[in-house]
Amino acid sequence: MGFFANQSKKIEEKFFAKGKPLEKLYPLFDALDTFLLTPGKTTKKAPHVRDAVDIKRVMIFVVVALIPCIFMGIYNAGYQIQIAKGMEVSLWGAMALGAWKVLPIIIVTYAVGGLWEGLFAIIRKHEINEGFLVTGILFALNLQPTIPLWQVAVGISFGVVIGKEIFGGTGYNVLNPALTARAFVFFAYPAQMSGDSVWVAVDGFSQATPLAVVAAADRGASAVAALEFAGYSFKDVFLGFIPGSIGESSTLACLIGLAFLLITRVASWRVILGCIVGVTTMSLTFSFFQGPESMAFFSLPAHWHMVLGGFAFGAIFMATDPVSSAATNTGRWIYGILIGMLVVLIRMVNPAYPEGVMLAILFMNVFAPTIDHFVVESNVKKRLARVKATKK
Amino acid sequence: MASYQIKKGKNIKLKGKAEKTLVSLDLPKTVALQPVDFKGLKPRLVVKVDDEVKVGTPLITDKNNPDVKCVSSVSGKVIAINRGEKRVLLEVVVEADGRQEKVVFDNINENEISSLNKGKVVSMLKDGGLWPVIRQRPFSKIANPEDKPKSLFVHAMNTEPLAADIDFVLQGKEKEFQAGLDILAKLVETDVHLCFTANSSSKALTDAQNVQKHQFSGPHPAGNVGTHIHYVDPINKGDIVWFVEAQDVVRIAELFLRGTYPSERIVAVTGEKAPKQNYVKTVIGAPLVDIFQGSDLSGARCLSGSVLTGKNVGAKGFLRFYDSQVTAIPEGGNREFLGWLVPGFGKYTFSKTYASAFLPEREASLDTDENGGHRAIVLNHLYDSYVTLDICTYFLLKAIISQDIEESERLGILECDEEDFSLCTFACPSKVNVSGLIRQGLEVIEKEG
Repeated sequence: MGFFANQSKKIEEKFFAKGKPLEKLYPLFDALDTFLLTPGKTTKKAPHVRDAVDIKRVMIFVVVALIPCIFMGIYNAGYQIQIAKGMEVSLWGAMALGAWKVLPIIIVTYAVGGLWEGLFAIIRKHEINEGFLVTGILFALNLQPTIPLWQVAVGISFGVVIGKEIFGGTGYNVLNPALTARAFVFFAYPAQMSGDSVWVAVDGFSQATPLAVVAAADRGASAVAALEFAGYSFKDVFLGFIPGSIGESSTLACLIGLAFLLITRVASWRVILGCIVGVTTMSLTFSFFQGPESMAFFSLPAHWHMVLGGFAFGAIFMATDPVSSAATNTGRWIYGILIGMLVVLIRMVNPAYPEGVMLAILFMNVFAPTIDHFVVESNVKKRLARVKATKK
Repeated sequence: MASYQIKKGKNIKLKGKAEKTLVSLDLPKTVALQPVDFKGLKPRLVVKVDDEVKVGTPLITDKNNPDVKCVSSVSGKVIAINRGEKRVLLEVVVEADGRQEKVVFDNINENEISSLNKGKVVSMLKDGGLWPVIRQRPFSKIANPEDKPKSLFVHAMNTEPLAADIDFVLQGKEKEFQAGLDILAKLVETDVHLCFTANSSSKALTDAQNVQKHQFSGPHPAGNVGTHIHYVDPINKGDIVWFVEAQDVVRIAELFLRGTYPSERIVAVTGEKAPKQNYVKTVIGAPLVDIFQGSDLSGARCLSGSVLTGKNVGAKGFLRFYDSQVTAIPEGGNREFLGWLVPGFGKYTFSKTYASAFLPEREASLDTDENGGHRAIVLNHLYDSYVTLDICTYFLLKAIISQDIEESERLGILECDEEDFSLCTFACPSKVNVSGLIRQGLEVIEKEG
């Protein structure tokens, strides 16, 4: 064993092994220990060999896929401040301004959430789970830059404890923990979560998000025309240089992450494609029924729906959480399609909700087991039919 | 001849494939019968230390079925009876005297095979110590002669990593193989299915008579008998299917035609830590030290069987009854600094999360490292890609963990065996022992009767 491995063994035996003073804090020791060094445990029975991939690798790949969104989010947060204040637009200036706003949110999320994870690991006597690395950054990116830090702390606490740990931790959660946290903050502190003044981190500055623009447009108007009139071109929205939640505004950044997740086969493409199909069919249906008195939303084309309101971020990074999504291949299609359809429906029916994607995903999280139930039942029925066929 | 193309699964390309050269080993000095090999058998010892035995002398019998015997592979003297925890019989060790004196059993002529009946076949197999080669699904235990199976499968294909090439093993034994098939046809009075690989060059297999032939191609576990049964004659609740290994079909013929216990087996010696990588002819229960033909096994995990389903009997252990392969791979346990963050050009993975996955496939060096901490099941969609049976694996696992027997049966557990899920355990990033859970689920059902 190497030098570090030996040192780790000595420390473990002296402080954290059974009967030693810090025995209860073993999960914390283990988290740091296995962060630095692979566990080095060997198989005891067949199968005697194992794949090199582990959960740490999978989770870190999701975090890596989010790096474009993180950098784009930091830049955009700063860029929006520069524009609102009429300052000179510069890359490094925007990065610095954005980091000043965004990094504290990320740090508070990881610190507070990490505290809860550690506490539960110690009480429940299991290792700290890497799932939190992903939950933390997803939650942070889902917030707007103006959110007070204490609300970040409360939100992530709710998400980690109620969204995940009470069910048993990573692998047992019914709902997506990052979205649970976001939903809590959204409903508990509505003044800071919605409206026009929360998206840019400049006091007193208000600007309607694209979805709010469409919601406020006249009946019978073209949604795209209203957006362009308000200064939102498709290119701007796609690239993400618009006010919004930190990581969600840039569809391009999300797509770079998507490419990474697809090449490495970490995310389920069925869920993502299902979301796209769902959004497309629903928006086509609505535009088919459009009349002169219909809301402007009816005319919003599918490709616009997909770049607005954090849809890309939600479909790629949130809906695909394997634990809270459907667990069968057929189920994943249905789950994805229903999410897409619900997103469009919620935006139509209640434009006051800027977080239609979040609610659609949470709603389908609840129904994922039902979808799976029917898929599994069809597998069971196939087996029973075989019995009947041979008995004839 | 029916053909099946298996799409799911994956081959593990390991270093240390056996060269197709056959070496006849000298008779080993000690040989062990390992009663734990015989699933479904409650062992009763019928010899004591210092008893003289011949080839074919019973060493243990089944408490519930005393005609079912497991016999000695060599003549000599019983020198040790080793027990484990709770007095479980681990080994009956016989010191070979080198003379190979044999017990004489009933024998028949080739042309008398067609006048055999089930009762005669059963009694000759039992007397000759070969009844244990007839196993059943579900549960993979020794068959009950009273049962009427719906079919019998001859397992003549093996896709496990570095498995013995059955074509090579059956060379020169075509007549005996056919005779064995004919005897088996008399045993079950129902369909006998011979399942082998699509590009087989063995006339014993391609020209076999009196059986239904099925050819399979595709990655592991295409070679598993569970896969064959699923595609040819799937098991429903209440069904019993019998199966026999190809080498044992030859041994059945040898017993019937010669009247003595056929104790020899051809074994593939494999794995990158094996001093020699070839095929050997030795006796069942031979020590691994002899089979590996070399002294330096330090730092190696010595398995009787393959890396996926074998047993760590250790360098001082013995070949198990049903195995025709031994594997020696390096022991793991090295702790790598930030190992989960490195590009990983040298790491072996089924996933696409290491650089090695994007390079052309080469023979891999795998050690016994678990490669990660144990976590709850997260990537639940992975398992079904490595299972050839039409099973919703994740949901079956949940039913097993919650001890819901009815649900497990509805989800098809009776078609399953531990070995059919070994790739799931291999590939799972959460290091969940999927195959172990399947075994547990089956054990619960077996106990309930």
